[in-house]
This record gives sequence, structure tokens and C-alpha cells, in this order.
Amino acid sequence: MATGKTQAPKKTKSKAFRTHLLICAGTGCVSNHAFDVRDALEKEIKKCNLDHEIQVITTGCHGFCERGPIVHVQPDDIFYQSLSVDDIPHIVEEHFLKRRPVQRLMYKPPEAESVIPKMSDIDFYKHQRLIVLKNRGLIDPENIDEYIAYDGYTALAKALTRMKPEEVVDEVKKSGLRGRGGAGFPTGVKWELCRNQKEDVKYIVCNADEGDPGAFMDRSILESDPHSVLEGMAIGGYAIGANEGFIYVRHEYPLALKLINRAITQARAYGLLGNNIFEKGFKFNVHVIQGGGAFVCGEESALLRSIMGRRPEPVQRPPFPVKKGLWGKPTNINNVETWANVAPIISNGSQWFANIGTPTSKGTKIFSLVGKIKNTGLVEVPMGTTLGQIIYDIGGGSTTKSKIKAVQTGGPSGGCIPAKDFGIPIDYESLSEAGSIMGSGGMIVMDQNTCMVDVARYFMNFLKDESCGKCFTCRKGTQRMYEILDDICRGEGTLEELELLEELAHVVLDSTMCGLGQTASNPVLSTLRHFREEYIEHIVNKRCPAGICKELVGAPCQSNCPLGTEAWRYVAHIARGEYEDAYIAIREANPFPSICARVCNHPCEENCKARIIEGEPIAIRALKRFVCDHVDPGIYKPERMLSVDENGARIAVVGSGPAGLTTAHFLSLRGYRVTVFESEDRPGGMMLSAIPSYRLPRETLEKEIASLIDDNITLRCNASLGVDFTIQSLFKEGYSAVFLALGAHKSRRLGIPNEDVEGVYPSIQFLRSFNLEAKQSAAGHVGVIGGGNSALDAARVALRQRQVKSVTIFYRRSREEMPAFEEEIEAAIQEGIKLEILVSPIEILSEDGRITGVRFIRNELGEVDSSGRRRPVPVKGTEFTVPLDTLVVAISEGSDIDCVAVASAMRIETTAWDTIKADFDTLCTNQPGVFAGGDVIRGPNTVVEAIADGKKAAVMIDRYLRKEELKKPAEVVLPEIYVEPPARDEEEILQPKRVALPRAPVEWRKRGFAEVEMSLTEEEAKCEAGRCYRCDLEFTRRKKEVESVIQEKVETR
Amino acid sequence: MITIKINGLDLQVEEGTTLLEAARFLGFPIPTLCHVDGLSPYGACRLCVVEIGEEPNTKLVSSCTYLAEDGLKVRTASSRVLRARKMIVELLLASCPQSKVIQDLASKFDVRQQRFKQEHEDCILCGLCVRMCEEQMMAKAIGFRDRGEGRSIGTPFDIRSEECRLCGGCIYICPACQLRCTYNEPEKAICGGCANLSPPCVLKDQFDDMMCYMDPCVACEIIDGKK
Repeated sequence: MATGKTQAPKKTKSKAFRTHLLICAGTGCVSNHAFDVRDALEKEIKKCNLDHEIQVITTGCHGFCERGPIVHVQPDDIFYQSLSVDDIPHIVEEHFLKRRPVQRLMYKPPEAESVIPKMSDIDFYKHQRLIVLKNRGLIDPENIDEYIAYDGYTALAKALTRMKPEEVVDEVKKSGLRGRGGAGFPTGVKWELCRNQKEDVKYIVCNADEGDPGAFMDRSILESDPHSVLEGMAIGGYAIGANEGFIYVRHEYPLALKLINRAITQARAYGLLGNNIFEKGFKFNVHVIQGGGAFVCGEESALLRSIMGRRPEPVQRPPFPVKKGLWGKPTNINNVETWANVAPIISNGSQWFANIGTPTSKGTKIFSLVGKIKNTGLVEVPMGTTLGQIIYDIGGGSTTKSKIKAVQTGGPSGGCIPAKDFGIPIDYESLSEAGSIMGSGGMIVMDQNTCMVDVARYFMNFLKDESCGKCFTCRKGTQRMYEILDDICRGEGTLEELELLEELAHVVLDSTMCGLGQTASNPVLSTLRHFREEYIEHIVNKRCPAGICKELVGAPCQSNCPLGTEAWRYVAHIARGEYEDAYIAIREANPFPSICARVCNHPCEENCKARIIEGEPIAIRALKRFVCDHVDPGIYKPERMLSVDENGARIAVVGSGPAGLTTAHFLSLRGYRVTVFESEDRPGGMMLSAIPSYRLPRETLEKEIASLIDDNITLRCNASLGVDFTIQSLFKEGYSAVFLALGAHKSRRLGIPNEDVEGVYPSIQFLRSFNLEAKQSAAGHVGVIGGGNSALDAARVALRQRQVKSVTIFYRRSREEMPAFEEEIEAAIQEGIKLEILVSPIEILSEDGRITGVRFIRNELGEVDSSGRRRPVPVKGTEFTVPLDTLVVAISEGSDIDCVAVASAMRIETTAWDTIKADFDTLCTNQPGVFAGGDVIRGPNTVVEAIADGKKAAVMIDRYLRKEELKKPAEVVLPEIYVEPPARDEEEILQPKRVALPRAPVEWRKRGFAEVEMSLTEEEAKCEAGRCYRCDLEFTRRKKEVESVIQEKVETR
Repeated sequence: MITIKINGLDLQVEEGTTLLEAARFLGFPIPTLCHVDGLSPYGACRLCVVEIGEEPNTKLVSSCTYLAEDGLKVRTASSRVLRARKMIVELLLASCPQSKVIQDLASKFDVRQQRFKQEHEDCILCGLCVRMCEEQMMAKAIGFRDRGEGRSIGTPFDIRSEECRLCGGCIYICPACQLRCTYNEPEKAICGGCANLSPPCVLKDQFDDMMCYMDPCVACEIIDGKK
């Protein structure tokens, strides 16, 4: 019954359409031109004369913002995503005319092979349960009739006609609904308190001042289903005895403001708001208040003051707003999502609601899932869902290969929860136990490329600006905490400052008045609680592990290289065509340039700015390869230094792998005489025995090793530690120091029956017998167990052996979690190696002492384990047998236990993981003068880490012999040498994508052991080098400018 | 009347009494910077925090704004309270080292050094001047502007308010800027901390009804001396 002057909205013609196209007009999609898509759709449909059969409906947010613009076709349930205007004619013709849904525009999960046509089958939607968002994407938020058609306002009718106000309060109380704004106060209890106030005038307020960075729940509710909030408020007004309601919306939400205002007008016109609702004499009006955008207005007492037109500063509670709120009258304030929960509770009954969720937290919760995650968007899940389920099942996991490290919940006042805790079920209590809060539901996912100190700094920066400034501790405290965090990020922090930060954080938490201040310390305290080692790393080692803090990182490629290679410098030289300078830049840092150019795991590309911005890092390793292939190594003449004494002290290096040879080389440069002991008949260590020649041609390896052996270095092959000599005997022979670089030469065992039968090989042994003795041990159908590089090597070597029919890799986790290099996995698949993921072996079958097959069991991904990955859980009844003639076990390499035992016999301390115990900073073992490095102290690791240890060992041994302090305070290494960027025309600046790495043709390479990866052409190399963002310039140019100013001054004098 | 327990002593107070009033009635010293009897409680400086409630669910609240509740247990000098106060004094000292009041507080709380980056601010934004102007002088000539780090006291657009009668009440009440008011160089003599003020004494001639609370007013003395 209309009371206002506004007219009832025109009824749309009740005409039936064959198909409805529900197009999302949420803010995300609209920013991606959803309205253009809609107009194009309508035009095209009309053009094809389908406008009598197909109706285009603009709806609110569908939630899957990542994939906007979105069109949902009903009743077929087909889900089209990432649409552009150009796609429309094709869709209309193919799907709506010819009834052939367009596969190309359907959702295809990243890395999946086929598309998922139906919305209800998509993981993002499948795992959600919708109560508050039940109408999202179904109704037109601008049309009240559509809300009513989906049972809208029946709850209000039920409350007004069949329930007493007390019964409504009771129902909400029994449902267990708690405030969705963050604190989680029981809604029913609050209502009762407010209802029991003996005042004539009471108010109701809806808090839609959503200011957390990365949170958009309230906005989406208002934009997709505004009437659900109005209905909830009207019911609340009836229950409490209030006749006026206020919705406080921030002015940054223009669409939400427009829609809620329109909804109020329509509801008034229908008599669903007004002076005599349902002719029951209940009067309820709603006013919209536009907020100015201060974060503190989300705090209830500040919000109320803002509504009253006063300065938004929180005031002391008690008295709480339920007693003394707006204009001193009892005021019940709830969050948008809380209000939207009310109508479903009244309609379906409290019992229905109370059955959903956990014992303490009932119902569902909406989260805005954002950050480094595949499926960003709005999700509604029942309370008690684990963080892991939201992040992996709905969110689809990390966007990149970097692992997810933590999730930040609750906005700036919330905290970070590390990946190892992703198993916790979401409710108010468990989140606060984990050091965070539910907050209003922001959820920011962070991966390894996120620096937690930087995150804390970011939020503190936000808070210091958004604190109202009334409480001295909040205003100054946030400012001081920001200062300290900023110091730490810039490498100027000290451990004392860290202590002060923590002390201050506790005081700020303790001594401020409102919720903002009391939670302002959370970003600091929660990151300190879970990621203290990152703070320490910044302060003590002056390193930012994520590669974010600019003043510590300099150029990310250089900072991430264990050798500190100035990758930016040689890339810059390549772009200028100065290949010899490039080679010198490489060789200065790395004695094995050609080897690293082939087998390095290129950590330099990990944090490359091009990767973060474009998704594809500069192909730094390929560029290094190009330089090494084009420059004669002879141009580099290393600088020689004098040693401690003129005769040169003698040093023994045990092991001639990358670590050992590097140490020998750098000690020789310092004038020491070095003897390298090698148990095999050739030097090379793991580079020789474990890396197949198609990745590292033997010629390259031998040449590079030979170039390092000079007059100061004596090589003694076939000399084993413990057999031919001991550590003690070396000292007796007059060596002043010993460096142990024994490598890791043994594979771990599976620990399943029959592992010792014929035809089962540990991968290291399998590779070594082939690489060193040319034994072809694999035959028939070959299985390889494992997912690391060693498994890939074994598989690809097996494939190249004569009697092999097929090769299959069995891995227990998912493909994305395989630790092997992506390019190796790709190359292996190209060569025809099969991949069987999510399987674990349970038994090796044998006949007459020879393997005949392996029994496997399939796994599914369970809860997140301590490594932050999802644990593979065997599924009962899925056992199956694979007939195999050869099995290579490549699960993990351990150090050569015999070697370690020998070392241990010489009183060298070892660890529980069969490695030698050494201080990672100084490489000292427990015996004076004995150093150890490489795989023998770290377990199986990369070549470049071994070289880095070798370099460090040379420095440490030198310091040891000079009787200097071994440990020195860490220093920040920033780019120094200025290389002028080449002048380029505009066409060149529009860079193409990362260069495709040239590889030999598959058929050809399967036949032999010739090198697979080829060199770039000069043109390709120059072009690729030109893609570099030149992170170094920020540091070198400034220096250059200062220098040139000084130069000028000198000249003018 | 309601009963509360302060530091173990039972006390009957009228409803509406603040914890600060109650504690001072019993003689427990609680430091404050933003509280003056006769002006409405504000709770900005946080120095007056006390610990309330039963272990383990105690919390700190500002005693100047918190009203006594029946049966409430209050501790005015627990270790948690003292830890917070000490940190607050350290923060104050880091920002306004030249204030005599703050120096005295620091010495009282045994804060011998402060560990933050030294600042030299004149204002701790206690808001006493704003309340003085509004509640006692009925002028509302000055107020707070901006928020967070940018918060300051002054007038809109820094234009002097016509409501200002140059009474000097704001200067009189200010706990932090005394040193500047008693500075021995004429140009720096007047604090101007509330931005609205040109020196009241300087313009004294233009205002017949000007009221000045400063006694003795060093600024006047300096200006008189200059004449």
C-alpha cells in the first residue's frame, strides 16, 4: 500500500523468455566494460531477431570478479567469462542461434585441459553455500519485483503478522547469529538489550562503512541485493521498537549508494517501508547517510557521531550505543551482512540457521578473497570451513609457482596466518587464537614474493593515516611503529629497535580507547609471531627474502643469486652488444659460467621485476648461455692476490665438485697452494655423476674445470677420505686447513617391501653408473618415483637407453607441486615421458628376485601440512598395479652415509640428517681448521649454492689463516656500476614476450645424449636483454649523477 | 550510590563518578595531561589508564572517561598500568622534549632516555585548549582538523575566527607549550600553538574587553620591556 508520492515501479511485461542472460554489473565487471558488453549483446540479439526469446538482465555481483565481465545463461547454466565486445556476435550466432555453446569463452581452470561449461560445476562456486548472497546474479538489484519473486519480504510479513517483537528477538537469539562486522557480539543479545531500554525513541543503524583495503563484501551485498538489507532492518526495527533506520555508506561506493536509494524508494512505494507497513501500524523509515571515507567511521561510536554531524571520534564505551546512541537514544547498530542474515533466519527458523556452522559460530560468512590467488572474488562459506578449503578449493591456490605463505584476514586490524595453520576451521575464536580476527571478511592471500615486514609497514602506514588521532598512543604509536618498520625495511633497523617495536605494540594495544587502536598492533604482532625470522633476516643479514624491500634488494636478480652475480649488468651489456664486458661481469662472480648457464636453477629469475609485472621473467640463464657461447673465456684474467706468507700455506680440499673446485680456485688466486682430493678418477663431483650430458655436455664441463686448475692447484684423483688419507693425516702432512666438500651421493629409500630386488635402483646410483661407467641399467617399461630434478634426470636418461620401451614418472603430490624445474617437466613430457600424479607406491612385486611391477595407491589432497602444501592422503580401495621392468627411486638424496660416517669417525660432528654439522655463516665444523660446505652440510642442493659455499669457504679459510674474525656484520649490496641503456626507437620499446628457449627437435634428441637446450641467436639475445626493467638504474644513475656533478666541479676549478 | 574497589579499598560513590575522581578522592595519584576539572573528560593523553576487572580478563581504560560501575575492581598502579604509562611518557618525551611538564613526568617515571627518533613538536593534541574555548569561553573558535598523523589544532583554512576574543585561555591551559610561552626571545615568546592566536598582549590595545589569564604573562613583560 503506497503512502509516499513516488509511483510504483512499472511492472515489466510478464512475458516468458526462452533464455535469460544474466550479466554481472558489479563494480569489478563494470570496470571491465560490462555495460559495453551488455549493450553489444542487446544489439546483437535484436539484430538476429531473438529479442522475443532472449532477455538480457543486469544483475549484481556474481562474485567471480577475477573473470569479469561475466554472463550466466539460464536455464542452461552456461557460464561465460572474460567477455569483450568483440566476442558478442560470435556468442549470439553460435550459442543462441545455432545452439552450440562457445567453448572458447567458458571457464577453464588454469592448467586444466578442458573447459567447465556449467556454473554449478566450477570449483569457485561448487564449494560455496549461499544464504546472504542467495540472490546474487539471479535478480536485478534495481527491481523490487525480482526480489519479491524470490520470496523477498515474506520474512517481514511473517514477523509482522505472525510474531510478537519478543518472539523475533528470541528467534534471532536462538539462531546464534553473531555480528559480522568483526567483533562477533551475539546479535540477538544486542537486540534484547536495546529492546529492554525504556525509551520511546530508538534507532537502528546499518554500518556499511567498509574501509579495509581489499574488502568488498558489504558493497557487493548492497549492489546485488539491497532489499535483503532493508528487510532485515525493518524486521530489526519491529523487534526492537525503532521507527527510524540509518544506513551509513561511504561515498566511495557510488553504485551501492544509487542502488540502496532506489531500493528504498521502491520499497516505500510498495508500502514495505513507511508509516503503516502491512497495515499493522508499524512505522519504519530508512535514511541513507553518506560517509566521508574515514576508516575510523567503521567504529560504532565514531560512526554515530558522524551521523549526528560531529567529528568522528570514538568515545568511551560504556555507555554502549544500545543504551545511549544517536542523540542519546538507544541505538542498535549492526553490519550490512548481519542485517542481510536476518530475513533468512526469520523465514527458515532459528533451528535451520543454528544447524550451519560450528558450536560457537553459526551460519555462513562472506569473504572477499584477493591477493596472489587464482580465483579472486567474493565467497560465502559455512563457518567451520577451513582456510585451506577456501584458499585451495575455492581460490584454486597460488597464481604462480611460488608457494602461498600466509593469509591476512580482518583488514588492517587483523593479522597474518601462516600456511601451516591453514587447517584451522574458520570461526571467531579460532581466528583470534591464531593471532588474527574475523574482521568484516577481507582475506588477502600472500605468496613467497610477499615480504611480511613490508606488509606490516603497509598496514601501519594505512593506520597512521586513518587513526582519528584522539588517543595519543594510537596516533603516535602507529606513527612510531611505522617509523621502525620503515627503518627495518630500509636495512637500518636494529635488534634493539625490534624489541622496542614489540614493547610499543603491546602498549598501543593495551592503552587506546577504541577498536581501531586496540587492534592497530595486530599487523606487527601477528607477523612477529609467525615470521620473526624475516624481521631478523632484514636486520641482521640485511636481506629481504621476498625481494620486495628496495633498499635491501637493489636489483632482485643480483640479490637473489647466491653468488651475487650482477645479472642486470651483463644483461645491460648484452643489450648494448658488449659481449666481452658481459662475460667479465659473469665470470667475476662465478668460476663456472658455462656450467651455470646450462644447469643453474636461476634464482635470479625468481623475483625478476618482469616476472612480477608481466608474469614472464627475463630469460637470464639463456642470456648467460649466449654470452658464454660467444666469448672466448681467455679474455678474463683473474686478479691474483698475495697470500699470508711468501711460500703460500697449503690447503687440502676434499671433493672436486662445484664447491671444492671453487674454493681451490679462489684460494689459489689468493696465493695459497691447494691440493684437491677426488675419490673418482675424474674431477667434477655431482656435476659429473648426477647431471646427464644432454643437459651438460661433458666437453663443456671438462673445459671449464680445466681452466680453473692452475699451478697452485694439485689434483689427486682416486684418493678417498678414510681409505687413502684422514683429516688428521692431512694436518700431519702440513696442510694448514681442510675443506670438506664431499657432496650428497646417496638416495633415500622408499621403505616398502622388496626394495632390494633386482631392477630397482636409487636414482643417484642409476645416474652415476650411466654417467661415469656408461652402464645402461634400464630396460623395458621403466618407472621413476619422485618429482624432483633428480627424478626428471633419471627418467630422461632412461628414455634414451636402448632397451627402454616406456618411461613413467610417479609422484605423490600434484603436478604444480613438483619441485623440478618447469622447463624440465615440459621437456620430459614432450619427449613422451608419462606423468602419473597423486600416487604412492605401497609394494614392489617381484618374481625370482626381479621386479615385475609396483602396486600403487591413489592419493587425494588433504589438509595443509607444515610445508604449506596440501598433504597427499591415500584413498582406500584405489590400489592398482603397474607392470614394470625397472624402477628408479628418486625421492630425496642424502649425503653419502659412508663418507659422513668416516667424517664422524674423525671426530667431525654430524647431524641427524646424515650431513656434517657446520655453521652456515662461517662453514666451520667443530674442529678448528676444518671447514665444510656444499651438499655435505646442506643436503642435496643446487650447483649454484655449492659454488656459493665454495666462494665463502675461500674467504673464511683466508680469514682463519690470517687469524681474523670470521663473522663480519652483513652489508647491503646495491648495484654500483652504471651501464648506459642503449637508445631505442619506439618500436623496440614495445617489447615482445619472453623469448622461447630454443630446444633441439624432440625426435632427434630422444635418440641420443646430444645437448637439448640450444643457444639464442644474437638478435634474440639483444631483444630479450632489451626487455629488462633495469632495476639497477635507480641506484647507479643517482650515483652517476653525483659523480658527474663532482667531476664538473673539479673541472671548473 | 555504588560501591567500587580501588587498590583493595572499598569506596561508595555516586553514579556518574569517573574512576579518576574516585581514585583521587582516596588520594591515589594518577597522572593526567588532558584532564582539567571543569572541562569535560576527553581521554586523549591515555596517561590516566587504570586496570579494571578480574584476572585474567582485566583491561586498561582511561580513568578520566570511565564511569564507576557497581562492584568494579580497579588498580591504579599495577605493573601493566605502569608499563603503559612509562611508554606513553617515553613517546611524549620523544615528541615534545622541551616541555617542562613532560620533563617532570619523565623524571617521575624514571624515563632517562627515549629510544625513538627525536622530534620537536609543540603540541601533544590533548585538546584542552579546544575544550577551554568551547566550554568555558563559549567561543568554539578553534578545533581539531584532519586525522591521524595530520591532526592539528586550528581554524578552518587557518583563517582567524571572528569568535576569538583573544582571551588567552588556550595558552593558559596548555600543558605542553609552556617553555615557548616563557621563552626569552621576543619573537618566539608566544606559543601560537593553537594557530588562531596572534599574541593577545600585542593586540591588547584594540580590545577593551580582552581577558587574559596569564599571570604573570611573560609575553606581556617582554613586550612591555621592548617599549
